Amino acid sequence: MIEVLIFATLNGLVTGLLLFMLASGLTLIFSMMGVLNFAHASFYMLGAYFAYSISLYTGFWPALIIAPLLVGVVGALVERYGLRRVHKSGHVAELVFTFGLAFLIEEAVQFFWGRSTMNYESPALLDFPLFTLFGQNFPAYKAFMIFISVSIFIGLYFVLTRTRIGIIIQAAITHPNPVANLGHNVPFIFMAVFGVGSGLAGLAGVIAGPVLTTFPGMAAVLGSIVFVIVVIGGLGSLAGALVASLLIGLLQSYAIASDVGMQDLLDLLGVSFAADHPLNDIWRLTLPQIAPIMPFLLLVLVLIFRPSGLLGKRES
Amino acid sequence: MGKLTIWIVFAVVLLVLPQIFDSVLSLSIFTQMTIAIVFALSYNMLLGQGGMLSFGHAVYFGLGGFLAVHAMMMIEFETLSFSITLIPLVGGVFGLLAALFIGSFSTHKAGTVFAMISLGIGELVAASSLILVSFFGGEAGVSGDRTYGPPFFGIDFAQDDHVYYLAAAWMFFAVLCMYLFTQTPAGRMANAVRDNPERAEFMGYSARRVRFISFAMAGFFAGIAGGIFAVNYEILTEENLNAATSGRVLLMAYIGGLGFFIGPIVGAVVLTLINSLLSNYTDLWMLYLGILFLLTVMFLPRGLTGLLMMHRVAWQLGRMRLLLLPYTLTAIPGAVFILGMIAMIEMSHAEDAEFVYLGLALAPAGYGSWALLLGVTAVAFFVLRRTLPRLREAWSQANTLPRQPRHEDGHP
Amino acid sequence: MSLLQLQNVCKSFGPTQIIRDVSLNIEQGEKHAIIGPNGAGKSTLFHLISGRYKVSSGGILFKGAPIHNLEPFQITRRGLARSFQVTNIFPLLSVFENIRCALLWSMGYKYSFWHFLSRQTALNERAEALLEEIGLFERRNIPAGELAYAEQRALELGIAIASGAEMILLDEPVAGMSHSEAKNAVALIRKVTEGRTLVMVEHDMNIVFDVADRITVLVYGEVIASDVPEKIRGNPRVQEAYLGETPHA
Repeated sequence: MIEVLIFATLNGLVTGLLLFMLASGLTLIFSMMGVLNFAHASFYMLGAYFAYSISLYTGFWPALIIAPLLVGVVGALVERYGLRRVHKSGHVAELVFTFGLAFLIEEAVQFFWGRSTMNYESPALLDFPLFTLFGQNFPAYKAFMIFISVSIFIGLYFVLTRTRIGIIIQAAITHPNPVANLGHNVPFIFMAVFGVGSGLAGLAGVIAGPVLTTFPGMAAVLGSIVFVIVVIGGLGSLAGALVASLLIGLLQSYAIASDVGMQDLLDLLGVSFAADHPLNDIWRLTLPQIAPIMPFLLLVLVLIFRPSGLLGKRES
Repeated sequence: MGKLTIWIVFAVVLLVLPQIFDSVLSLSIFTQMTIAIVFALSYNMLLGQGGMLSFGHAVYFGLGGFLAVHAMMMIEFETLSFSITLIPLVGGVFGLLAALFIGSFSTHKAGTVFAMISLGIGELVAASSLILVSFFGGEAGVSGDRTYGPPFFGIDFAQDDHVYYLAAAWMFFAVLCMYLFTQTPAGRMANAVRDNPERAEFMGYSARRVRFISFAMAGFFAGIAGGIFAVNYEILTEENLNAATSGRVLLMAYIGGLGFFIGPIVGAVVLTLINSLLSNYTDLWMLYLGILFLLTVMFLPRGLTGLLMMHRVAWQLGRMRLLLLPYTLTAIPGAVFILGMIAMIEMSHAEDAEFVYLGLALAPAGYGSWALLLGVTAVAFFVLRRTLPRLREAWSQANTLPRQPRHEDGHP
Repeated sequence: MSLLQLQNVCKSFGPTQIIRDVSLNIEQGEKHAIIGPNGAGKSTLFHLISGRYKVSSGGILFKGAPIHNLEPFQITRRGLARSFQVTNIFPLLSVFENIRCALLWSMGYKYSFWHFLSRQTALNERAEALLEEIGLFERRNIPAGELAYAEQRALELGIAIASGAEMILLDEPVAGMSHSEAKNAVALIRKVTEGRTLVMVEHDMNIVFDVADRITVLVYGEVIASDVPEKIRGNPRVQEAYLGETPHA
């Protein structure tokens, strides 16, 4: 029991931190530009694919640096030549644009790399168990993922609180309009933030690709969950995004690791149903089964009862 | 042309179409179109008319469809006995019920909150449908048979053209109802709430209630579309209520043009054609669709219908012929450019050594074909850049109002 | 009984108190103006009365019944309509549709989806008559967003009075207008509020003293005077608030 708990926690932490790498970029972009970027997870996918292709020539480590940079450039270009154009048509048009972009990137990935799963593997250097507990291995690569995510978090925190650009960004998060009046080059800041946010997503893709498999559906798998996180955490709140990321990561991880279900609950209550009861699908539900829908359930509940999110201050 | 005339022409077109294009393929495309039109128009009640961006509209289409299939099964097993012609109504009623329930909490706000709730519910329902196997049939879905039940004037709907006429009749009815809705107080207030919910509240209307009514109506008509789908395909799967279907209806409405009643109809027709015709020729049609969609969002915020409607001024001024030549001159290099790009995209994906494109035998392996295509496309691009300014000039000329007569008289 | 009663109304945003213990009675048929320096809380007071904001404490009664917990649409339905300082219309709908929408509730259509607007003769005639009254009949078919500024203000006024409300709140109805435009607007306001109760916030003192039977002066969220125009003119505290140093700074 205890080993299940420990490994579920570790895995939840890995997932949660990975989700946070995506959610932080999405939150930054939303805070600055008011755009909920549907295509954010597509940049994450691009990161994984770029890294795979680059690693064929250079190996994993250079790809770890180059691929996120490339994704960042793609993101900046998208902002400059796409989003900025749509901006004047309003938020709905922007949201629809990013939705279309996600659609297009998925098709483009299939065009360039095909539909099958890429053979993108973690570097040999990290291909060993970091420690063994109760006979179960914890791979070093997962520890590396935690290390990268935490470094990014610390780096982001440092940039946002200690640097000039960070202070401008923070000002823009709380007071979007006055920043423009202070004479900062807002279009450039927008482009930069979009690029950096996309690059972060790309980095998440680079390190997640080997573990979560690199295939054309990987953006769709994570995309809506990241959306859920920024909304649950409170739109525009980085701290909220961190809390929600870890919450969802751990929740899913525990749910998958557990083997309880409705049956146990019914046994506990002393209720039983006939084998041909019409609602048997419900009576036989198990926690691992409903793990994938839990984030969405949480989303709907949060939006109904606390539309500003867990730590959010403003309603969208 | 009066409004009544338009409706009569519409009905006649629906009646005559399958007589003119009578192949199995075209009949199947027409039926698909009817479903797409009803679905896209119902979506436009939300986004275009009511300002609610939904990422989960397939829920009502799918739930309506699933219930319709279950009703068909009940007819088959004689638990129920009514004509199969009423199946779309079953879909509509259940779409309405689902929308009444979900709308009761999701229409509180428009904007991002609404969009997110719709996304969450869409994912929730789609994922749940895979878990609740006995109702939704899991991956395989549930299927029925439309040929049971009391025959309708001797018709048992075993033939495809009978299904088409049934679908077209329901579509006509649904389109008419949705049009009439826009002409009622609730329909007009939906526009008002879309543009300025706050002011609507200061006119005595609860913005939430106005949205709720549009939402329920949209659910009803989406359910009807799902019911027609059930009659036509006799099977529903998880795919019919998941995010991909929700996304497709957004594409249709947007590409067609949100601001116009006929916009989604145009979008539904165009997308159905792309879907069923283009997919015969290329595996990459989804890629082209994605490009088309992004270009529409970027350059035609009012969709294809908006593009047509842009010509209204020139038309009224009788200056369309001013545009004829510039259009032709732009269209030729434009078409060459697009075809050239497509050729290169397709060639890069060709698996055989020889690749026939528009009667042209190309060799993907050699440099010759690439150089040729690249050259032609580049030339077309440069010609296009030369012709565009002229088009722009002609456009502004065709759209400026005639100057006051006293100026035209010349000097005294 | 007064038509509108404000009883010890307070409003705070976070730690900042915007409205401090305002009590005020407005009688049936009165033309009442609320004046005060910038930031005195005049618009906030309007938002509290019309339900856009909720009071922090205190009560607001309209026709004797409390309205401070009601939603804006419920307050409107009771016969209290308002206009906005920043033009607040439906820019994409035609001028005619703007007015027709404003008439719908009071003419009993509610959320009907079984009436066809084009067949509602009484409704459409009333909308046209109203358009004549506010001088926008000729412009009825263009989108409201394309109207000139003064025309938009007239439309704003038209929407506010369309419901036939007994009490009308006008928030700076002539702000941003030229002198002649303002003159026309005042004439229009007089005409359309004939026989109704009017409360307006206005900066232009000429207009205030011209239109109002009673004036309330609001300074830093507090009522410092509420009286007939002649008395307000001579009130030393008012003069201090407008001309002298303010003790609150």
